[in-house]
Amino acid sequence: MTNTIDTSIYAAVTEAIQGEVRRILSEGSVSAVVGYAAARRKGSAQPIVITDAARAEELVFSAACVNNLAVYLTKAKKEIPKTGKIGIVVKGCDLKALVGLMGESQLKREDLYLIGVPCAGVLASTAQPSQELTGDTIAPKCRECDARLPAGCDFVPDQRPVSIELAGKYSAEIARLEAMTPAERWAYWKEQFKKCIKCYACRQVCPFCFCEQCLCDRNKPQMVETTPRPAGNTAWHIVRAMHLAGRCAGCAECERVCPMDIPLNLLNRKMAKELKELYDYEAGFEVREKGPLAMYDEKDDQSFIK
Amino acid sequence: MHHKEKHAFEPKIIAFVCTWCTYAGADLAGTSRMQYPANVRVLKFPCTGRIDPVFILKAFQQGADGVLVSGCHPGDCHYIAGNFHARRRFAAFRKLLEFVGVDLGRLQFSWVSAAEGGKWVEMVTDLTERVRGMGPMREFKELGLEEQWSGAIDTPELREAYDSI
Repeated sequence: MTNTIDTSIYAAVTEAIQGEVRRILSEGSVSAVVGYAAARRKGSAQPIVITDAARAEELVFSAACVNNLAVYLTKAKKEIPKTGKIGIVVKGCDLKALVGLMGESQLKREDLYLIGVPCAGVLASTAQPSQELTGDTIAPKCRECDARLPAGCDFVPDQRPVSIELAGKYSAEIARLEAMTPAERWAYWKEQFKKCIKCYACRQVCPFCFCEQCLCDRNKPQMVETTPRPAGNTAWHIVRAMHLAGRCAGCAECERVCPMDIPLNLLNRKMAKELKELYDYEAGFEVREKGPLAMYDEKDDQSFIK
Repeated sequence: MHHKEKHAFEPKIIAFVCTWCTYAGADLAGTSRMQYPANVRVLKFPCTGRIDPVFILKAFQQGADGVLVSGCHPGDCHYIAGNFHARRRFAAFRKLLEFVGVDLGRLQFSWVSAAEGGKWVEMVTDLTERVRGMGPMREFKELGLEEQWSGAIDTPELREAYDSI
């Protein structure tokens, strides 16, 4: 196939990660490392926590390493006792999520040892783990990625991903929807939200959904219906998109885990685009104390207010 | 003399207002005996900063045809900056609602001070008239009605039964 994406660096990246993890674990500078290991199915990978330097060789990095591991470090997991610095393998998109969490005081930079991955892209949720990475099998988020080389990490392997030029799917889809009439957009989203079974996988996998009690689980008063029926579904997805506005790092995990294939990241990308236009704010590698909706400027646009 | 007129459709307007400015403004309109459409139901909040976008969603779901959110002018907030925070939040929320397909003509934001009884009357009248022209807010109501059926309502028989309700 002509649109094959070069993933030849992944073997060397795997080796570099293993070497670094072996070093930091045997030195004792970190107590555990969250990374990826080969899973049972051929070519697939799964998250793993390693505390023993001898097991460092189990770590891998490949196009099947799709998970955002940042979710294992959020406040929701705070019952796990802290035993020292934690190492974590991060792709650019995952690092943006970690940086966001640091800005929200959920994590401290000094508690982490960041192992950044030069990333050429990962497979879409629709692809088989053993498939080759091509323009057709690559995850949609990777098509528009501007974070192939994480910055500000403690360790990044020397390899450099070959830059690829692919047409953006989210930007094209957002433009398509924006060109519709409100009624057409409503019809589109109604069809999408109708599919929702309220499994809350999007919430569980999201590093930013760390509230101890979710507004959508409360019933006194009940603001969002919990049943998997149209009104509650629509409210749930609007509320979630609103809560992620200005925070979402674009790792698209919500969309990947959605069993009903609802294009959730489309909502999040749209909000990211709007906040960039309104307040010149974008998720990045730099820890910022406040997100755009947690601060204000007296000169903010108020043309919509009479 | 206020001229009373009968309309085929009386829109339900929900107004989320801050207690320090707009509520007092609406109160002034009342004590000054100014007339304005009785379509508006006023909900009082400590500050526009307390008005969560989810309240607006809930209002639409419960049958509102239009929503008004109103608070203190910038710089006049009783809590210094509640309205500044609200301004950003609602700027973002509007974009989201628009993207999901809600016509923004049904949603109005305004600053009405305690002295602006006249502006309150104007705000409510404008929104009521605009929403009256737009007709009932069907979208959210239909979602609610669909819950009454276990299956799809797309068959002609069900559609007929549904329309006759």
